[in-house]
This record gives sequence, structure tokens and C-alpha cells, in this order.
Amino acid sequence: MQSKVYLGIDVGSVSTNVVASNASGEVLGTLYLKTQGQPILAIQQGIKEISALIPQDAEIVGVGTTGSGRMLAAAIVGADVVKNEITAHATATLRCVPGTRTILEIGGQDSKIIILNHGVVTDFAMNTVCAAGTGSFLDRQASRLGIPIEELGQLALNAKTPTRIAGRCAVFAESDMVHKQQVGHSTSDIVAGLCEALVRNYLNNVAKGKGIVSPVVFQGGVAANVGIRRAFEEALGLPVHVPEHYSVMGALGACYLAEQIKTVSTFRGFDVADADCQATGVSCTGCGNNCEVVQFSLNGEIVAFWGDRCGKYGHNRVVASN
Amino acid sequence: MVTIGVPRALLYYIYFPMWQRFLTDLGCKVVLSPPTNERILNLGTQATVDEVCAPVKVAFGHVLDLADKVDYVFVPRLVSVEPRAYICPKLMGLPDMVKHSGNKMPELLSPDVDLSRGKMSIARALSEARHTLGKSVWPTLRAFYLSLGENHKVEQRLMSGLTPEEAFHGTAWRRTPGVRMKVAVLGHPYNVYDPVLSMSLIEQLRRSGVDVVTAEMLPQHKIDVGLQGLSKELFWTLSKKVLGAGLYFVKTPREVDGIIVLSSFGCGLESLIADLLERNARRSEFPFMHLIGDEHSGEAGVVTRVEAFIDMVKGRSEHASNISSHGNLQHRPTSTT
Amino acid sequence: MRVTFPHMGTCSIALQALLENLGLDVVPPPPITGKTLAIGAQYSPECVCLPFKVNIGNYIEAAENGADTVIMAGGIGPCRFGYYAELQREILQDLGLNVNMLVLEPPLGMITEIWHKLSPLANGNSFAKVAEIFYFAWRLGKSLDHVEQTLNRLRAVEMLPGACDRIWNDTLRTVGKTRTFRELRESAQHIDWMIKTLPIRQQKPLKVGVVGEIYMLLEPKVNLEFEKRLGRMGIEVHRSLYLSDWVCEHLLPEPRAKLHARKVKRAAAPYLRGHVGGHGLETIGHSVLYANEGIDGIIQVLPLTCMPEIVAQSILPRISKDFSLPIMTLILDEHSGEAGLQTRLEAFVDMLHTRQAIATGVEHRAK
Repeated sequence: MQSKVYLGIDVGSVSTNVVASNASGEVLGTLYLKTQGQPILAIQQGIKEISALIPQDAEIVGVGTTGSGRMLAAAIVGADVVKNEITAHATATLRCVPGTRTILEIGGQDSKIIILNHGVVTDFAMNTVCAAGTGSFLDRQASRLGIPIEELGQLALNAKTPTRIAGRCAVFAESDMVHKQQVGHSTSDIVAGLCEALVRNYLNNVAKGKGIVSPVVFQGGVAANVGIRRAFEEALGLPVHVPEHYSVMGALGACYLAEQIKTVSTFRGFDVADADCQATGVSCTGCGNNCEVVQFSLNGEIVAFWGDRCGKYGHNRVVASN
Repeated sequence: MVTIGVPRALLYYIYFPMWQRFLTDLGCKVVLSPPTNERILNLGTQATVDEVCAPVKVAFGHVLDLADKVDYVFVPRLVSVEPRAYICPKLMGLPDMVKHSGNKMPELLSPDVDLSRGKMSIARALSEARHTLGKSVWPTLRAFYLSLGENHKVEQRLMSGLTPEEAFHGTAWRRTPGVRMKVAVLGHPYNVYDPVLSMSLIEQLRRSGVDVVTAEMLPQHKIDVGLQGLSKELFWTLSKKVLGAGLYFVKTPREVDGIIVLSSFGCGLESLIADLLERNARRSEFPFMHLIGDEHSGEAGVVTRVEAFIDMVKGRSEHASNISSHGNLQHRPTSTT
Repeated sequence: MRVTFPHMGTCSIALQALLENLGLDVVPPPPITGKTLAIGAQYSPECVCLPFKVNIGNYIEAAENGADTVIMAGGIGPCRFGYYAELQREILQDLGLNVNMLVLEPPLGMITEIWHKLSPLANGNSFAKVAEIFYFAWRLGKSLDHVEQTLNRLRAVEMLPGACDRIWNDTLRTVGKTRTFRELRESAQHIDWMIKTLPIRQQKPLKVGVVGEIYMLLEPKVNLEFEKRLGRMGIEVHRSLYLSDWVCEHLLPEPRAKLHARKVKRAAAPYLRGHVGGHGLETIGHSVLYANEGIDGIIQVLPLTCMPEIVAQSILPRISKDFSLPIMTLILDEHSGEAGLQTRLEAFVDMLHTRQAIATGVEHRAK
């Protein structure tokens, strides 16, 4: 018998993640690719690579997309469900860690907190305007200190007396760090201070007043960093759980959301990996809005539009969501 | 005896002598919170939404610090202390923000003071305070009238160059001998005199042999000189002082050698006023620096900037020539932001 | 004299009609674009609120098109808006732009005073004529408010996606361009007819109340059209403040508006004792009123560092808890992007649907 497989794609500004799962929700394969400002290529690359990770005879019975590039991904692959990343993350976490009450998610450009009660999202928040509580902040500081980002967490654990790094924003923290270095603090103390600063910024900005209750799950790319995890545990006084697929939870959530769709999948097949995809901006002159409409074509055939305000082009509903 | 806690924050730096006299005369014991420290700052930061400015966070910290030690914490709702001018929206909402912040908060003694609509509001405020504390009419009125004179008593000390803290508590500082120069430090009193929020700016200047003048050390008639010629009367009491003093210094050369404005990140009043003052200072090539601080600020950044500013002012007076008064200094005082 | 004005949603449409009817040479600022925001942010103080920056962008772009006089409203505080014009004048002056700022300070009070104040703008028209022109602009503004309010409700149940947006565009094109009472009546009737014949689905959509700072609520280009986005997700939008509210407050005190203001103030009283400038008190009052009316969720919109709304923001969590009502705060500045906004709105709407599903035991089906 053919095995049934679901695909989930999460297109973010920093990474594009793809996950394949089978009918019982087991993860067959995960991919973590850099978007590098070229989401179409990243999505195609992801489709190509994931096809190698699933059984040859598998039938794709559902595809979900999420992340800031979810419309684009949906148009390319022919997704069955297009969902925002909050809902996707919550769905995945609830399956992996039943009974979760708090999700801390820190990705490349945003960070969020999701509060759940009885398996339902009851509150959420995302970072307002600054990036001091996100992964790119950590990346930047790691490279400034000349430490590979993978080793940052371990280094932080070696710290004896973490330094207090001041600063609301990445730029300001950086100047304080330079100062602390010059005063003669050890690198591991500075790195631990950095982790604490990120956690402090996150808790004060994103998670302010959110009533964090155990079980707490920490996910997103930054969850790889054990230093941050420990800083969270110390700041919250609660154990913090990092799920197995912490870096691709959005994509996994998209998989699980696709499972709930009962109709025949609109998946275009793995051939789209080699298809000629073109997204062109067209300035619509139909009215005073002068919308930048994105026209998406696959092998020369126009298959989707989005970005129009009036709905003239089918109103973003290129992909039937239900 | 009823004990009343007074947070060492916000308008404490202006009205404490008056408040203290009023409350003591009414037979209350006044407990003052300690000078702002890291713990108080953290308490406040945790209890407020991130968007609130640092002085309000600090004020929350002081209220929480006093919570278990007193019967009431004195957090007046100061809307306006003169006609046609207000304090600041956040201070106007402070008691309500404290009450509804979702934290366990102490009982507040928070009379409404709104002189923008006439002096009758004082009567209401007094009766509110009187009822909360269970006092009768005459002692309350007597305490109020006696307290009115208190602020004049410290005025002399302020004019001699003492900060409010020094003037209130009778301490003094010793002048460091050496090169004399004079710099104006302008800003809301709760920024300028708070040891944490100001990052000890005044201390630091004095240690470097600089005499400091603030708007509180300036007589009202000089501030009025500064405010003359504004195209529209300001409707913020605190900003009138800052801008009035600043423009007075710009208009009266040789009074001070430079101006430092210290404000908080997210302060709505200073976002306009500091810019207005900076434009005026720049036009007359007056040395000017704007420091923006918040609860995350490190002292290191301020030290560097202040030292550079002093050097610049010194260099200018030595050469007495047309060196630019606005290097890269005033534009983005980054890490202090 | 070539006059211009800052954009503020439908407000600028009514103002343009007013000035043109007075026979003035009007140079409207070009529509707000990313460039407007960039220019505005470049020449404004860094920590000032977003409307100030957009104003500056509008002035500079209008000056490039030949405007030499800016019409701007003033205020008596304590919100920063009341002192905008003073600093804006200096900024334009420092930029070397030869632009004169004409500031209308409230309260204008007696009719005679208005007359005196506005005489440079009256352009030789008689008093009666000017009064009529003012009245026309007021009616025009009211008509636009009425249509916008209706469409915010109907967008949730429109049969053809985008139908309401098209009606709104038509409204701006026809009603917005009228200059006489007759034209206004005719085109307003036409729009009314379009609304009446709009095919709609018979269902009860979720309702979201929108509160916050008035400029951010009124100017769609700056608030990234979040109301329309909500409508497209099948949400009936109820906005607390419209243009006419602003005019009543800033220019003409109207008795009915006073009555409403008292009701809002009473509703806010348990949470906020008195006004805090801007629309902070209104945000709290309207939120309580919405909660009592059985709304499903509330969204507060404010520009970064807005003082009155920060006070409200600090208190809203308490209202959310007391009424067990989801409230989301959106803080916007010149860096805000559409993707982030869309995600937040979708997640909020998802949350409202799940809550409703639990409450009614019926699974939600997407629009």
C-alpha cells in the first residue's frame, strides 16, 4: 500500500524549513535551508531535497505553508492550507508536548510568545519594533566576538560570573560589550551576559505580563543555544523543555494543519522543483491605489496574484484554504 | 500613627518639602524610599509594560519597595499645577496605572491636583486626603497652609547650587579645586537627580571640576526671559522649565559654557523640546549635547560622551575661535539611548 | 498663496473641499508612500511619534509641488500634537523651505472668533458664504464617515471578495470630489444604492472593536489598512473614532458629541479617573463600552512612544481580564511592515474563532 505523506513548509526571512510527516504524525524528514533573500529558490530546493527523504511510492495527501512567505510557497507548491506562524507553532507544539501552557519562540527576525490553555491559544505576542530579542542579535554579537554561533551556548555555560550587558537594542548592547571586553571580563562571562541580556529583553518586551506557566516549551532556531535555555530557566524559575524538532516547528505545524484537510490535495507534484517560477511586480493602474500586484507564473502560465487591495485579481484566494 | 510612604521618584524632586510638612503636620509618619538602586529599577521594570518611560518604571519600583512598610503610598494624581499647563500624560495616569497593573499594590493616597481648572480643585484634593486619613477640616487646612511655605525655604539652597536632594536633606558637596567651567544640565528633575537614571551625571561632572547648573537652581525671572519670544506658550510645566532655562543660557552667553540635556527614551515632551532647544543652540553655535537614557543604559557610554563634551567645551574656550560646537557628539548618543 | 495640509485619512478630503470652495489655490500633498515616511523620519526628531514624521513628509513633498502655506491644527495639550506645529515650523525653516505655517488653535469658541481667526483664509468671501462652505465640508466629512462605517461592517459578509473595497474606491472618486450640496446628495445616493444592492451572506460574523490614537485609526496608508485586512478575514470592524469626532473635539464643540464624551468618560471611570491627553481616556472608555456590548475582541493601535495610549495600554490588560475579552495592542512606527501586521491579525482572528468554537461547540469554517 502506498504510504500517505504530508508536507509542511515554513518560509521565514532567514530560513526556509520543510518537514514531511506520515499519516500517524511521525516525522520522516526535516530540512533547514537559508532563505538568503531568494525564497523561490529556497522553496524549490527544499521540495527537491525533501523528496529524497520520503519513500519512493509515497503519495502526498496534504501540503501546508506558513511563515512570512506563505503565500508565495502556497502558489509554488499548490498548498492545501495556508496559515500564520502563531497557529502553526501552537499546533505543532501541542502534538509534540501535550499540555503545553507556554511557548517561547525565538527565530531569526522575530520572537513570539504563545499562551495556551486546554490546548487552545488564549494569548500571544510578538516583538514590537526592535530586534534585541531575536536570533540575528545573537548572530551578530557572536561574529563580533569571533565565536561560531554553535559554540556560543556551551561557552556561556562555563561562565562563573556573567557580566551584565546593558542595552535595549543590538547597537547599544554592542557598545557596552566592547566596553566590558576592554575592562577585562572573560569571553565566557560576556557571552553568558549576552544570553541573559537577550532573555531579559525578551521577557520585558515580548513576554511582559503574559503569565508564564509550566510546562514551558522553547523553540525556534535559537533554542539550539543551551546558554539561552539555561538563562530562561534561571529567569523563570521553571524547567524549560526544548522539543526534538525545535528549529522546524512552524513547518511541522503546517504538516499537522494539512492533516485536518479532508479534500484531495492540490499539490502540484515534486516537478515544481525544476519548474520556471517567476514572480513579477505589476503596478496596477485600475484605480488610485496603485497597488503593487505580484503576478506569479509557473512555466509561463500565470497561476496566482496577490497584493491587490480591491480584489480584482481574485483576492488572494488563489489557493482554496478549505 | 498612620505611616505614609513617599516614593523617591518623579515629582518628589520638586515637592517633597511641601508634602513632608503637610503629612507630618497631619500627624502621619513619613517614610521615604531609598535612592533608586538596581533592585528598585528591576522591580519597576517587571511591573510595567515595556513602552512606559524609565522614570515611570522607577516610580513603580519605589511604590513596590514601600508596599509592605507603610499604610499608604503617596502617589498624587498631578494633572496640572498652574493654569493652561499640564504635567505629562503618563504622570496624569500614574495612580490608575499603578492600581490596574495587575501586581499586588499597596493602598494609595492619591488626591487629584488639577489647577488648570481653577484653585477649587485643591479643596477637593484636600478633602480626599482628609477622608482617606480620617482627619478633620481645620487641621487639614492648617497643615496645607503651613506646607505652602516649605518649598520657599529650600529655594535659597537650590539657588546656591545645591541639588534638590542636597537641599532637602541638608548635605553639601565639596568643590574639587582646579579648572573652573560651568555646564547646564537640563531635563526633568526625576531624570537629572535620580542616581540611576542620570547615571550619576552631576557627580561625574563635579568630579571633573565642572560646576553644574540646573533649571531648579535658576530663579524664575531668568526662565521667563528664556521663554520670551516663543511663538506659542508651552502647555507642559516641566518643559517650560527645561526650555526656558535652555533658551536663557543660549541667549545669555558666558552664563554657562555648554548645555547637556538629559532625557528618557520614549519621553514625549522631550522629543519635541530637546529638538527645539538643539536647533536654537545650533543656530547660535552654543555647545550642546543630548543624552538619552533608559533602564538598560550603561554608565560606560555616558562617561565617554561627557568627557568628550568637556574636552570640546574646554578646547573652544581656550581657542575662543569658531570650532564647531556640534561634532558627532550631539547627534546620536547611542548606547545611552 | 498656495495652500497645503497634512494627510489624515478622510479628514484631508473634507479639508481639501473646504479650501477649494473658498477659492484658494490648493496643492494637496502627494499620497503617502514609503518615500514620504522616509523623508519624514529623516528630518524629524528620532523619538517623536509617527504622525509628526508623516506630517513633515507631507509638507516637504507638497512644497516640492509648489505649496507655500501649510494649514495645521494646534492644541492645548497635554498630548504632543498641540505643539507639533511649533517644531515643524522650525524644521521647515532650518531646511530652508519657504513655507508659512497657519495654525488653527482650538478652542475657536464663538463664531465671531472663528471668523477673525480665519479671515486670511476667507479669501474675500462673505461671512455667510464662508459659513456655508464650512457646513458643506462638514457634511462631506459626515457622508464619508457614514460610508466607511457601513463598509467596515459589511466587508465581513460580502459575497464577492473586494466588493466593499470597490465601493469605497468609488466613494472616494465620486463623493470625495463633490463641491456642491447637490453633487454631494446625488453621489451619496448612488453610493447608498450600491451598498443596499451589495450581495451579502446571511451570517453573524465575529466583531472586533478598534480603539487607539486617532491619527493611526484615520490614516489607512499609515495603519497599513488593518481594518480592511480584518474585514477580508470575515471580521466586522467597529471603530471608536471617526473624522467627525476629531473635528468636534478640535474645531467645533458639538452638544451631541459632548453627551457621548460624557458616556465614554463614565465607562472609563473605574479604570481611569480623568483625561490623560489625546484619546487615552476614550480608548479605555470605548473598550469598556464595547465589552458591555458583547464584542468578541479589541485591537488598540498606537504610534510608538504615544504618551496617552501608553497609559491606556498599561490598563487594558486589566479590562481584558475583568471582561475575559482578548485585547491586542498594535504599535506602529515607520519601520512597521505588512507581513508582521498580517501575521498578528491572522493569529488574533484565529484565536477569536477558537474561543467562539469552544463557547458554541461549533467548528469554525474559514470564509
